[in-house]
Amino acid sequence: MADTKKLAATLRTEFGKGAARRTRRAGLIPVVLYGHGADPIHLSVPSHDTFLALKGNANALLTLEFDGRTELALTKDVQRDAVKRTIEHLDLVLIRRGEKVVVDIPVHVEGESAPGTIHTVESQTLSVRADALTIPEGLNASIEGLVEGDSVRASDVVLPEGVELETDPETAVVVISVPRASAEDLEADETAAEAGAAAGEAGEAATDDDAEADSSAS
Amino acid sequence: MLIPRRTKHRKQHHPKRTGQASGGTTISFGDYGIQAIEPAYVTNRQIEAARIAMTRHIKRGGKVWINIFPDRPLTKKPAETRMGSGKGSPEWWIANVKPGRVMFELAGVDEELAREAMRRAQHKLPMKTRFVSREGGE
Repeated sequence: MADTKKLAATLRTEFGKGAARRTRRAGLIPVVLYGHGADPIHLSVPSHDTFLALKGNANALLTLEFDGRTELALTKDVQRDAVKRTIEHLDLVLIRRGEKVVVDIPVHVEGESAPGTIHTVESQTLSVRADALTIPEGLNASIEGLVEGDSVRASDVVLPEGVELETDPETAVVVISVPRASAEDLEADETAAEAGAAAGEAGEAATDDDAEADSSAS
Repeated sequence: MLIPRRTKHRKQHHPKRTGQASGGTTISFGDYGIQAIEPAYVTNRQIEAARIAMTRHIKRGGKVWINIFPDRPLTKKPAETRMGSGKGSPEWWIANVKPGRVMFELAGVDEELAREAMRRAQHKLPMKTRFVSREGGE
């Protein structure tokens, strides 16, 4: 069974931005839990524990304990403060054991492409269908030895057992290219080189003048 | 230099500087980014200076994205002019940047090089900014 993070939740009885702000001031996060046709349940969960549970794994499986019940939940949406990055609100979706869910999994690039080339990750996440209890934390796309113009497609990414691809298999995940300078860059470089040369000549002339002045003085 | 191709009105009011960015607050394309933590008007010259500082340092080794566009004109009245006689002439093109906005993104280089390239770019910008990376952003 997958490693789930336990969170002690409490039912919320007051709603609206004033109540939500009071909840946040008390060190809690307002949460809504829905799914399987049930009515949404409004909860609050401890802020720091939730932050740690979701750190580095946006698809972490959470076990919520509230009102004498225990429910499994998966994160559907996270609202964060744009500057402080603290979690402001969570949307959680109810999960049943053995259920297959569609989730976005981050893609990690491994290996080195040919010298002189760079890789650009075109799709940062891939949508996959997996068992709710065995969701992979990441997928690896190997770019070892690839040359300019090559690409890794969604179908080329090796998926763990029991995981099916939901994204279009032809979707480009990583593209290998050679960095090219724009006309503006080349022009700017030339201008800088000319300015540098002119400054060098001026410096030499000034040194010559100084030397002449020194010799005439002596 | 970034400039709108066509505008509906030549002169506009000054854009509001209150509030936080409502979108573009996470890294979307690259691996590293520069995030604004103060509000500011960023001119097209400052955007260009930051871009050049970054691309010069990475020596064309990576790819740079600019996520802001200077689409608001600011006007200025000539020096030693009496008040009145209408609004001044357009002088600058600015992007109204709110705190939290990821303005530049970079990919294709290692973190050490990206940090130094972005440090140089940060010096060209008129507000406090911070370096963000994809792993540390969430």
